[in-house]
Amino acid sequence: MSVTDLTIILSGIVKLSAPLLFAGLGEYTAERAGTLNISIEAMMLTGAYCGMVGASATGSAVLGLPIGIGGGLAVAIVHANFSHRLAANTFVVGLTLNALALGLTDYLFTSFQLSSHSITAAKVPLLSHIPVLGPALFDVSWPVYFLFGLVPAVWWALQRSQWGLEVRACGENPHAADATGITVNRRRRQALYVCGMLSGLGGAFLSLGIVGQFNQGMTAGIGYVVIAAVIFGGWTLWGTVLGCVLFGTADAMGLVLPALGHQLNPQLLLALPYLAALAAMVFLAKSYRAPRALARPFSRGLA
Amino acid sequence: MSRGPALLHPRLSREPPHPPLLEPSPRSKAARLVLLYIVSILVALVITAILVIVVGGSPMSVFSAIYRGSMDGGGSLGQTLDASIPVVIVALGTLIAVRAGMFNIGQTGQLTMGATAGAFIALNIDAPGPVLVVLALLGATAAGAVWAGVAAGLRIWRRIDVVISTLLLNYVALQLLAYTVSKQSLLQEPTPPGGEAGGLPQSALLPGSARLPHPGQYPSFGVSIGVVVAIGLVVMLGVLLSRSRWGTQVRMVGCNPTASRRFGVKVAAVAGGALLISGALAGLAGGVMLTGSVYRVQAGFDNNFGNDGLLAALVVRDQPWALLPVAFFFGVIRTGGNFLLSTGVPDYLSQVLEGLLVLAAVFPPVYLERREWARRLRSARSAVMRSAT
Amino acid sequence: MISSSGRGRPGRIGARWRPGTGAPGRGTTAGDGQESAEDTAAFELRGVTKNYGAVVACRDVDLRVARGEIHGLLGENGAGKTTLMKVLIGLTPLDAGEIRINGKPTVVRDPVHAASLGLAMAQQHFSLIERLRVWENVSLAHRGRLTKRGAIAAVSEIGARYGLESSPHARVEDLTVGQRQRVEVIKCLSLDPAVLILDEPTSVLSVDESRELFRILRQVVTTENRAVILISHKLDEVLGATDRVTIMRDGVAVETLMTADADAHHLARSMVGRDVLLQAEMAAVGLLEGSAASPLADPPAARTAVSGPAGAIPAPDPSEARQATTALHIDDVEVLDAGGRPLLDGFSVTVGRGEIVGIAGVEGNGQSTLGDLLSGLVSPARGTIDVGGVRVAATAPRELLRAGVGVIPEDRHASGCILEMSVADNLVAADLDHYTRGRVLLDRRAILERARRLIDEYDIAAPSPLTSMASLSGGSQQRVVVARELSRNPTVLIAVQPTRGLDVGAVEYMSERLRQAAADGVGILLVSTDLEEILAIADRIVVMHAGRNMGEMGRGEVGVERLGLLIGGHGS
Repeated sequence: MSVTDLTIILSGIVKLSAPLLFAGLGEYTAERAGTLNISIEAMMLTGAYCGMVGASATGSAVLGLPIGIGGGLAVAIVHANFSHRLAANTFVVGLTLNALALGLTDYLFTSFQLSSHSITAAKVPLLSHIPVLGPALFDVSWPVYFLFGLVPAVWWALQRSQWGLEVRACGENPHAADATGITVNRRRRQALYVCGMLSGLGGAFLSLGIVGQFNQGMTAGIGYVVIAAVIFGGWTLWGTVLGCVLFGTADAMGLVLPALGHQLNPQLLLALPYLAALAAMVFLAKSYRAPRALARPFSRGLA
Repeated sequence: MSRGPALLHPRLSREPPHPPLLEPSPRSKAARLVLLYIVSILVALVITAILVIVVGGSPMSVFSAIYRGSMDGGGSLGQTLDASIPVVIVALGTLIAVRAGMFNIGQTGQLTMGATAGAFIALNIDAPGPVLVVLALLGATAAGAVWAGVAAGLRIWRRIDVVISTLLLNYVALQLLAYTVSKQSLLQEPTPPGGEAGGLPQSALLPGSARLPHPGQYPSFGVSIGVVVAIGLVVMLGVLLSRSRWGTQVRMVGCNPTASRRFGVKVAAVAGGALLISGALAGLAGGVMLTGSVYRVQAGFDNNFGNDGLLAALVVRDQPWALLPVAFFFGVIRTGGNFLLSTGVPDYLSQVLEGLLVLAAVFPPVYLERREWARRLRSARSAVMRSAT
Repeated sequence: MISSSGRGRPGRIGARWRPGTGAPGRGTTAGDGQESAEDTAAFELRGVTKNYGAVVACRDVDLRVARGEIHGLLGENGAGKTTLMKVLIGLTPLDAGEIRINGKPTVVRDPVHAASLGLAMAQQHFSLIERLRVWENVSLAHRGRLTKRGAIAAVSEIGARYGLESSPHARVEDLTVGQRQRVEVIKCLSLDPAVLILDEPTSVLSVDESRELFRILRQVVTTENRAVILISHKLDEVLGATDRVTIMRDGVAVETLMTADADAHHLARSMVGRDVLLQAEMAAVGLLEGSAASPLADPPAARTAVSGPAGAIPAPDPSEARQATTALHIDDVEVLDAGGRPLLDGFSVTVGRGEIVGIAGVEGNGQSTLGDLLSGLVSPARGTIDVGGVRVAATAPRELLRAGVGVIPEDRHASGCILEMSVADNLVAADLDHYTRGRVLLDRRAILERARRLIDEYDIAAPSPLTSMASLSGGSQQRVVVARELSRNPTVLIAVQPTRGLDVGAVEYMSERLRQAAADGVGILLVSTDLEEILAIADRIVVMHAGRNMGEMGRGEVGVERLGLLIGGHGS
């Protein structure tokens, strides 16, 4: 394998991992609050579509990003209020939102023309000249650099801030959290909003930063890969990051290896995230503990 | 896409009972619920109409196209019924699993595995017509059960939450199907003589002998015998759930496994069994789709039927009999949606309409519960304020 | 254990830790160190009433607690002590009355609001979140006003000040129960409360741990001029540790008096509301020193007094009962918890047919495990169970049911009934096979018939057999459980805390039913922490401590001193 091959593979990994990482940070936040958030697929797809709509409307790919974030947030608002204000089953709502987002983006996309926009790559001086790593890591679409700030920010928010402490309390033991005076469902909604915004950003990055246009159903199940990454990561931040990068790598291999003349079973690669998550749970069962109240709705009695 | 699963948590139905306190009369409660259903469905329809207008279509012609495509005349009615069958079967199994406290959201995977196994049998076994169909359906049922059994096993031996394992197993199943239809040695359709090597990733069409009969195949009406299977299953399982020892045990286990164990119920067997039945029915639904209407497997075979079944089960909230109308409604949107193109509106609208209507069906009961709760809270609070002043 | 400041009279204020971002220090102007019960009240309750449905939990309660005192709130299980405190800290809204804090009428919205008003309560069932670390739990209580560093400092500083050492970085799930309680107290103290409320804090503590806790409470009161409310049903605790005491009975505050003016007899009478069984009652509340001197009142007299209201069914003569054949024989059973710690440690007991054997002991000494064992919910590591002379596999609930074991479990909601199902379903839940026709369908008619019969026979307040279990009162739910278990004609019936949380009528009903069942030849194992209950109906008493049978005595030979020593774990 030549050095250029290596660079191609690496930059593929970076590109394909980035949307997973954005959304993964969000899903991690939502799951720690106790929501097994299935509508992440809808959030990403809506983010991708709204991002491109925003870019088309303003003519600026950069302005597309916040609009994509808004799209993801909109999905989160619907989901959070259905599930954590009213007590509608989170899976019904999530699944329905996924179908709805797919149908709606398809419907609107076929009805209205969107122009193509992409976010330009930004070279980091000096660093981009590092052999092999440089071009892959430091000559990329600039929102990737957000990740260097977002990962520590999410870590701080969940592990060090009072908000994050409360969010984790809601995911572990909502009744005790409630007794401490935390409004459990409000925290869960907020965590879901964070998830919506980050997933929307991930989706918008997918359309604006990687592909340069919107395609129907372009997220193609990435949301579920993200869920698998959080599970694979054992509901820890670093595990989630690792899972996202690993699955992004698998994705990149699926694209890059055939081009380089190597054969690898594509179905196995696509199934890898799910198999890896299952295997991690089976073999590391002791250290793998989901938030205790994950996917358990909370309602406070009146007694 | 949107091959997402979903499941309702068993605990959802276990909200602590509130003390009776200024209870509104049951009649006014029911009336309010019906009114809310009407309002929220209207809202869903209005949103849909707005979407139609936005793209320059006419809402009236859209709704009438859906009606014509799904219910006007024997042919479309038959198609609608055909499209309702898998939904009913999947939902029925889901309902049983959920009742037993097993939150199965792996219908898509179980259905896919069922269809794959069914296709394998139908394409590789030489048997007379009816026998072959029955074998294919049995194989599909077994495969669905096995796929759910993986989740049951992981639950029992590794304590892995069924929601999580069934969710993950969906995507493994989809890739397994993709793999089998990409290998000539497995299920891929043989390359026609002189055709390009490689070929399409799909299986061959089922031979006529392996297809479900369509009784009454008149020009005006055709529906596969699967309808009989679906209705028969609803009746049988509906009765068993409410009247049998097993049905009672399923409820007991779902509500309180510890107490059930003390009462001598074999909890793991009942709960695991319910999950297997759910998988088996999803597999059977795959088999019925295969032998009744699709006739071959390929990527995307599930066509979102697994999810529709799951949603239907969650929408009916534990009422097996309500499955029949709800599934029919899913069928209406599906087949009616096919007629949308004639109106110049993209047929993706049907998916939007379905989603909006599901949300509209979910909203009223949870909204009323929430209002009731808030009302109690207010009355309790105002008592506090009164006493403090 | 830093105890230099022990019961220090001089107003020595330790280096006070304050919340990082500076919550306004409430006026904990200790200094004069004098016990000032007559100062302005820290808070005052006036006419507080709280109903749960038809049950009156608190009725027109007045309570005034001053800074600088440890105020005991004494009462039996279900007397309304905990409810009253829940009202005070805003966990549950009151139905009538008012709360005055520092003299001002106040509506306490929720526990956070209560904390900001200077009221902190360590709950009986800990409010700690197990997966989080100690400092994180402490920080949670501060709702955003405490950084990690601040929380760690608070844990260390409070730990050092009171000798409550606890590692701030430990995960709560790794701590023992005693350590968790410590964290709970640290958490409350870190809020710098004017009033610290402790709900039955010693129920999970060893004797040494309890003594340590009371030392700390004394320090909290004398050197820092806080008020402490100690909820308890143990006389010696209240007598030894409090300055004033309010006694609650059936939701009413019966009286408040200076502890120095009170004696055990008076408190016990006031708490129980009758003179009967006073001696036994004193033993039940663990009054060792006081009662050790005086011999127990003549047991037969005590029995007569109680069986009066309970009905005329005489208990079988114990000597006769003991000669009867064996209903249940548990031999040398060991049950381990997940961590390999013994819950039952070579426990043995024998119950004859028609005999009532009471198992006494402080809660948490293996009583609930014994119930689970006989329900088939836990598997013993060793030992045997014989029912009616036949060996039974202890891990199979079905076998135990078939062998004739009936269980009234400790937590009826967890394992005694299925709340979501109907009364009829609950009444036949253990006999589904019996009502199954052709192995498949249930005989609804026979089920309903039996349900109607039992509802009638056991006087269950259910409008119809199809009424949902959840809509019944606790007492009626318990009757359903009793009806189901007794109607199965068991060889032996295990009743674990069968009257906990029930009103007086339900308690009497239960004693009557148990006696009647014994008269019908059922062997009865009554597990209770309420010694009165046991002394009232048991023919023989077994004391359980740390999962072991500490010793037995016939009801004629009950001596308070011996009983007390056994309960406290001092074997013969």
